[in-house]
Amino acid sequence: MAAPQRRTDIGPPHYKEFLPPVIQKNYGDWKHHEVLSGGVMVHTANSGDKIWSVRVASPRLLSTDTIRDYAAMAEKYCGGYIRFTTRNNVEFLVSDEKNLEPLQKELNSKKYMIGGIGPRISNIVHTQGWIHCHSAATDASGLVKALMDEFADYFTTKETPNKVRLAVACCVNMCGAVHCSDIAVVAIHRKVPTIDHDKVKNMCEVPSTIGSCPTGAISPEPSKKSVKINADKCMYCGNCFTVCPPIEIHDPEYDGVAIVVGGKVGNLRSNPKFSKLAVPFIKNNPPRWPEVTAAVKKILDAYIAGAEKHERVGEWIERISWEKFFKVTGLPFTFQHIDDFVIARETFRTAATFKW
Amino acid sequence: MYELGEKSTGKKKLKSSDIQKTISADLSITRDDVKAALKDLVDEGKLIYTYFGGSFVEIPPK
Amino acid sequence: MPKKYETPLLDELEKGPFPSFVTEIKKAAAKSDMAADELGQLEKSYRDKRGYWKHGGIVGVRGYGSGVIGRYSSLADQFPDVANFHTVRINCTSGFFYTSEFLKEMCDIWDKYGSGLTNLHGSTGDLVLLGTNTENLEPIFAEFSSRGWDLGGSGSALRTPSCCVGPARCEWSNINTLDITYNVTQEFQDEMHRPAFPYKFKIKTAGCAVDCIASIARADLSIIGTWKGKIAVDQGEAANYAKKGMKIQEEIVNKCPSKCMSYDGKELKINDDDCVRCMHCIAKMTKALKPTGEKGATILMGSKAPFVIGATLSWVIVPFMKLEEPYDELKDLIRKMWEFWDEYGKNRERIGELVIRKGMREFLEFIGIDPVPQQVKEPRRDPFFFWTEADLQK
Repeated sequence: MAAPQRRTDIGPPHYKEFLPPVIQKNYGDWKHHEVLSGGVMVHTANSGDKIWSVRVASPRLLSTDTIRDYAAMAEKYCGGYIRFTTRNNVEFLVSDEKNLEPLQKELNSKKYMIGGIGPRISNIVHTQGWIHCHSAATDASGLVKALMDEFADYFTTKETPNKVRLAVACCVNMCGAVHCSDIAVVAIHRKVPTIDHDKVKNMCEVPSTIGSCPTGAISPEPSKKSVKINADKCMYCGNCFTVCPPIEIHDPEYDGVAIVVGGKVGNLRSNPKFSKLAVPFIKNNPPRWPEVTAAVKKILDAYIAGAEKHERVGEWIERISWEKFFKVTGLPFTFQHIDDFVIARETFRTAATFKW
Repeated sequence: MYELGEKSTGKKKLKSSDIQKTISADLSITRDDVKAALKDLVDEGKLIYTYFGGSFVEIPPK
Repeated sequence: MPKKYETPLLDELEKGPFPSFVTEIKKAAAKSDMAADELGQLEKSYRDKRGYWKHGGIVGVRGYGSGVIGRYSSLADQFPDVANFHTVRINCTSGFFYTSEFLKEMCDIWDKYGSGLTNLHGSTGDLVLLGTNTENLEPIFAEFSSRGWDLGGSGSALRTPSCCVGPARCEWSNINTLDITYNVTQEFQDEMHRPAFPYKFKIKTAGCAVDCIASIARADLSIIGTWKGKIAVDQGEAANYAKKGMKIQEEIVNKCPSKCMSYDGKELKINDDDCVRCMHCIAKMTKALKPTGEKGATILMGSKAPFVIGATLSWVIVPFMKLEEPYDELKDLIRKMWEFWDEYGKNRERIGELVIRKGMREFLEFIGIDPVPQQVKEPRRDPFFFWTEADLQK
């Protein structure tokens, strides 16, 4: 059978084709919403119409079998309408209240986790890792699975002072909002890369390789038609590897992860913030990374114990101070915590006011 | 345009915008004309897009 | 019968309550040798603590330089069915709404031509088809495009724009995020599919300052809905919140960043002149508080992950823009920004990095925007500033 006629530059189909009738009718005219449980909310329109959303956890990496199962449940209970959230949860869009119970029953019987709405831990935004990425220094999916197993209750039922947004990035490229998450894991390298000069000569452009280095550590090596790296300046970011793969940055023995905390993207109460370094290094320990899970739990427990209602992790830390954060979590403060990248001075303390 | 690609093979990777800038300056024709010609060459398969830490236009390997 | 590998390490990740990605790969591996080899190679990665993928090169569909990401196993002799294992990005719908009918069709095509593994969704928002070989790319594109679906962005191009759920199912949205995203995507198909930029360009649209799409952290152009007007207070509903146990003074008034609220136990008052529209009170008391007046968006630019100059958050360039169909003012602004970037940007330089390098003045003058105090946290603190000839004549 011949392949169908291809078309170019048509863009995605119009979004209206995919909206349930109750949304089409009340588009832009919603009045308010209520969170009914950890994973169910109802939106009410000015017309009085309602739509219920049932949120379910997803590993983001989905087989066609599972997607077909979602589709079948959407057809049974939601007129075929389903959406995904920006954190890769699945949302079943229920227009008829009487379908709400049977849907949840079927989801529970199939061991889908209902939750992620309100002041809880929602799904972890994460990257490809060893599953499909060339620059991964850890596996994102495995870390996510281990963390979410540990904190499953905080997804389904238990509450935290405000929502807690977790993220995992498998390298410092950070394809995910790791740099602005409440608690995030980011994989790092710790050794100067090695250079295969013969391959560099054939595969890479010297100027763009030099330009890729944020610290100016790379310079030409004319005798080999290649480049050299100043070990005193290299901060192991791996950007040169992406531009020039013969510069090998991976090192299974020394690669691992750091944990950063206190970031947020929302503007509520306080301005959006970057995540800051809490734990500089934990070695890769697949398949379940128990040391990472324990460190994240330590931070989360301290936050739950110490934060005021509605405070995000970063707001809690700023109120109690970073010196107190290290005290209450018991995490050691090291040279790695003091910034020495090119924009370091903004983080130095220029006041005599601090806590003991 | 194809010649420009040929000249650069093995030397410098050309970006689509480099080609547009160089040719529109050399032949004093508009950027849009060069862009359209470039699109035709890529559609015919005489030039292809490649990726190496950025997108480039090259002549396909024989 | 597809291949099978022993996977003792990955099997550990099938335990526990959270849905397992290993189970997903195994489901696909029961039908596809590609997925089976993916599983086999991943187990080896878990054993060796390192990845085995190579990137880059020449793959794509005819005429496009975007939408397909080349991926190759560096262990092709051991895992030949993932020797090439490319990603196909399908442009998502605005707001990630789907019908079961489409999802089933998508699954049928993908089972026929690919590994059966997907990401719903990728970090930028694409519907990601994870892993197929080079020969299947054209048939996949024909199957999807003939049904009205196109590829998303990749490489040095406009990346697939994405947005929050917006007016489709949220009472807080000040702008039509879905429509803006759809319009911009359609307008700039060429910029998405034929990479001609110095580097990637992302556009994300959020309906309000809660920013559920993380636009302020992850987009070269961040569009965040806001309003000019009062917050209407329904005192009856406010009293209901208090009755249900909300400590309004502590939880709402004290948490207001601009200290523009007061509460005497009966009446909640807002000094709208001092409000910075952070969304805290509205998000916590959605039945009692509603923004009124003119709706529009704040336009910001420049956020990105750490490479090369350190992570950035987007900063304000246009404090308020009305956003109504056909969004010409927004589209013109985007074109102007790209012109500036095309003129001065270096390879792999994001537009935000360029503006930091060249200075905001040059950028703002180029795109024709006047300086206003809303663009900065505070004026400069150094005594080093440029004067042009024209400035001196003033």
